[in-house]
Amino acid sequence: MFDFLHVQIPALLTNGAFMTKTTPILVALCLLLALLAAPAFAGTFGAGLTLSERTPVSRILEDPDSFVGQKLQVEGLVVDVCARRGCWIYVAGDKPFEKIRVKVVDGEIVFPMSARGKEAVVEGVLEKFVLSKEQTIARARHHAEEKGEAFDPSCILTGETVYQLRGLGAEISGI
Amino acid sequence: MSWRRWNYLIHRDLGFLCVGLTLLYAISGVAVNHMADWNPNYTVERVDTRIPAPGIRGVATEDQIRRILGQLGEKGIYENSFQPDPDTLWIFVEGRVIRVDLASGAVEHERARRRPLLYPLNFLHLNHPKKGWTPVADLYAAALALLAVTGLLMLPSSGPLRRRALWLTAAGVLLPLFYLFLYY
Repeated sequence: MFDFLHVQIPALLTNGAFMTKTTPILVALCLLLALLAAPAFAGTFGAGLTLSERTPVSRILEDPDSFVGQKLQVEGLVVDVCARRGCWIYVAGDKPFEKIRVKVVDGEIVFPMSARGKEAVVEGVLEKFVLSKEQTIARARHHAEEKGEAFDPSCILTGETVYQLRGLGAEISGI
Repeated sequence: MSWRRWNYLIHRDLGFLCVGLTLLYAISGVAVNHMADWNPNYTVERVDTRIPAPGIRGVATEDQIRRILGQLGEKGIYENSFQPDPDTLWIFVEGRVIRVDLASGAVEHERARRRPLLYPLNFLHLNHPKKGWTPVADLYAAALALLAVTGLLMLPSSGPLRRRALWLTAAGVLLPLFYLFLYY
């Protein structure tokens, strides 16, 4: 079974020469595995980009219901990142004061905080959530906890409808 | 050579090979286990300052942003900016975010720094890199299973040590089953 190591099997435990010969081979194998992992450090996240057409964030926000369930590609500045898990980002829109949230499955894609202030192209499916007042409070509390900020539930008076992209892939430049 | 010697050989060498990875997963495991209580990846520092109210209406121009940075004595390279609403300006400077309340002049500087040891450990533990790291983590998992099996096969055939080993093994199996019964 161990013929490829070119040593006599009975010498395995009794002959110190076996150790001398096989140790470099084992160490080299480990280093080879480490090298295989190296190309992972790129600005591409998840499935990368597959669509050829981009949709302006402003168009989505003007009439989000018409895009719900569609796979879209958006482009913009990353203005905020989930500090705990890297599981969401906000991408600025093409018009002032607009941004869209991109949520990814925890652990599947992890955005680094260094993405803030960098240009991104993101793909995902637009989702719609109609939240009750209680759900809105719970969501806001969770976000505040993630960011380590104070939260006052009394500032939320009604429920809200939330649109977000379920992120599938992204490319972020400059990280 | 007897199978026991093979078993010993495999257990011993795998044990040495797994030391680094086991420590990585153990340290990171404790860190991410308590993610609800702290941020295991970053330290986020916030400092509040104040400048005279910029008096900017609507979308801030680059000149206005640079003037604010000058007032703050900011030496870092201005990268980008964003306004979530007409009264708030976020300025991105070399990985930091400077949030300015345009009406009052209140400023919050936020810097997120990667935790020096934990960030890379968590990065690997939670398989953020994917790609080449995935088979490494799979192999490590297989090695752990093999370590467990070869460890079990080291059971002596008789005597008090065998009883002790069986009790300890049973306790290790029952522990997760107990919590499954309790919470699942």
